[in-house]
Amino acid sequence: FDPNMTGTTVSLGVEGMTCGSCVQSIEQRIGTFPGVIHIKVSLEQKNATVIFDHNQQSPESLSEAIEDMGFESSLSESIK
Amino acid sequence: MTKHEFEVAMTCEGCSGAVTRVLNKIGEVNFEIDLPKKLVWIESDKDVEVLMETLKKCGKEVKYNGTK
Repeated sequence: FDPNMTGTTVSLGVEGMTCGSCVQSIEQRIGTFPGVIHIKVSLEQKNATVIFDHNQQSPESLSEAIEDMGFESSLSESIK
Repeated sequence: MTKHEFEVAMTCEGCSGAVTRVLNKIGEVNFEIDLPKKLVWIESDKDVEVLMETLKKCGKEVKYNGTK
């Protein structure tokens, strides 16, 4: 993680995760997407906090990527 | 229709739920999931590669065991 690289932070709601393995799969897969700088998924809070380059990704594209993996994702949470 | 057997590294209902949803999304497939055995049987006319790619979307390791 490069602190000099400015990224946009978004928190996405994620439903359907039940264990640490689900969390890891999402972090590993979404983490390799172009433009994704950092991703932290919380099982307890049912959300994913993603820092991304807005030239390559958008909250919508990230949410779609999570849905594509078979989880429910919502954009309800705040965008900083 | 051909019945294919896949081994998917699922560990919980969340994993099998994700597999269920991605398979429902592509449609035109009948499938059965055995979570304890980590097996997914899919009955479909689609190519094995297509089914494989779909299963891989879940971010799990997938192994093709052949037709049943």
